[in-house]
Amino acid sequence: MSKPANARAAAARALFQVLEQGRSLSQAIPETTQGLTAADAALTQATCYQALRFLPSYEWFIRALVEKPLKNKVRIVHYLLLVGIVQLRDMRTPAHAAIAETVNAAQLVKQPSLKGMVNAVLRSFQRQHAELEQQLAAEQLKSPGLRTDHPGWLQRRLESAYPDQWSHICSANNQAPPLWLRVNAAKQTRDNYLSALAEQGIEAFADPTATDAIRLQHAIDVTQLPGFAEGQVSVQDRSAQFAAHLLDAQPGERILDACAAPGGKTAHILERTPNAIVHALDFDEGRLQRVHENMQRLQLSATVIYGDAAEPREWWDGQLYDRILLDAPCSATGVIRRHPDIKWLRRASDIDALVALQQRILQAQWQLLKVGGRLVYATCSVLPDENTLQIENFLATVKNARVVPVAHAQARDWQLLPETDSGDGFYYCTLEKTAI
Amino acid sequence: MAKMTILKYPDDRLRTVAKPVEQVDDALREIIDDMFETMYDSQGVGLAATQVDVHQRFFIADCGEEKNEPLVFINPEIIEQDGLFENEEGCLSFPNVFAKVERAGKVRVRAQDRNGETFEMDAEGLLSICIQHELDHLNGKLFVDYLSPLKRDRIRKKLEKEARLAAKLN
Repeated sequence: MSKPANARAAAARALFQVLEQGRSLSQAIPETTQGLTAADAALTQATCYQALRFLPSYEWFIRALVEKPLKNKVRIVHYLLLVGIVQLRDMRTPAHAAIAETVNAAQLVKQPSLKGMVNAVLRSFQRQHAELEQQLAAEQLKSPGLRTDHPGWLQRRLESAYPDQWSHICSANNQAPPLWLRVNAAKQTRDNYLSALAEQGIEAFADPTATDAIRLQHAIDVTQLPGFAEGQVSVQDRSAQFAAHLLDAQPGERILDACAAPGGKTAHILERTPNAIVHALDFDEGRLQRVHENMQRLQLSATVIYGDAAEPREWWDGQLYDRILLDAPCSATGVIRRHPDIKWLRRASDIDALVALQQRILQAQWQLLKVGGRLVYATCSVLPDENTLQIENFLATVKNARVVPVAHAQARDWQLLPETDSGDGFYYCTLEKTAI
Repeated sequence: MAKMTILKYPDDRLRTVAKPVEQVDDALREIIDDMFETMYDSQGVGLAATQVDVHQRFFIADCGEEKNEPLVFINPEIIEQDGLFENEEGCLSFPNVFAKVERAGKVRVRAQDRNGETFEMDAEGLLSICIQHELDHLNGKLFVDYLSPLKRDRIRKKLEKEARLAAKLN
């Protein structure tokens, strides 16, 4: 029997799709790893993450080793070289396996004539590794993009918004995030769940601020967690868990989760306030299916609505909401460590379009809120244009809004930055609708 | 050690049902060593005796990432199996052909090793697929037999064409 030596070919194909065709990694991975064993699929995924986290550095190695750039029909081989170098330099794959399997993969991507070339490049990488690292280190001193492995436009925006913290943000963006859980408060206390984890020898820590959040010391297959299938616990980043806390839904209230899919925050709202009447809205039918699945596993019930948050006429039943969570579409620059492809998929020009979209949605949602009701505006962005400046702009245009300060932050609004052992980058601001 | 020639589909000899191995001796071990060399050289993870035109019931496998887990299965039988999954498979008798085949997820196999000692082992993942694939060879069965006649025909034509081209070049 021969094995489709596919982890390398699959990784090269996935990276090609992301970097040449603009697809997201979360779309590319399931497709390219179809038919692989679980271990090979995991290797493919790990290789792609690593490649996208440090792409400029790996590209620099390829430029140093390959005289003539691989273009057009043989472009895929460029990504095979990337995969080979990632594995040789930064993964635990033994060198001879990394080389042999990557050379084989040339056959699978239908470029058998370049097998020799792939072999030669990877072997010279191996031979010259020490010198190449020294040269890269020297280049990094000259080029900030190589130092942080971020695109220039994003790095400049981070630098100007966070003069003291930008390099920490960049380095947190390039680290794998810890695994955070959310304990289902409707089923048990966090302390009880921590004991259940301890009984199974799973090392875990309670977050001091996010009261339902637990961080696992080591990532594990979540379906193996005690009570996972029964909905006792879900996977959700610590920073995202503040949405339900700030929304603070009360029993019997009408709540709208305006960009709900895949439903993590909708579920959190219901776990904390089972008697709230929750509407979960989203404009992506495929992802709405995930809301249904999440509700089912957690045995919660929400009214799931398909519709555009910016166009309430098309779906709204005409009754005002007590509270609205608006987790707005955004640049996702706060969750780069989970989605390293974002660095290369987003363009500077996307930001203005997103800011305009957020503004439209915010204006539309504001009309659906009762007087005295609250709207929590949230994004997983770290760019002020989408966050603080968006809110300032909103407050300048409407008269019946006031900011409810965020107690956790002791400030008007709350910009969380990604931190290596903590949460994602996130933004929150709570607005109350006043009588004019 | 010497490299052996692997029979290529649609060679009729691949349809031979192999006979049980009666004696595990040095002659057999020599064939086994040659088969390992042949398999490693072709980047295979398994090779059945049938494929090198030896019609006795044994096969070899190495599904380890580092190619340091050689296994020999003489007179193998699957005594338990469980679950179903579908994976892409290839075969050294079908160069560059890969197709999805449904197999049992886990198998328990009983066989003799290269010293003739009987052993049992549980396999899952790639090794489980490989054991089922190689055992099929010993029964004259090929992985394309699981595909639709249309797909199988397409593969046969492709390989026949490649064989003709190769013959011309030689």
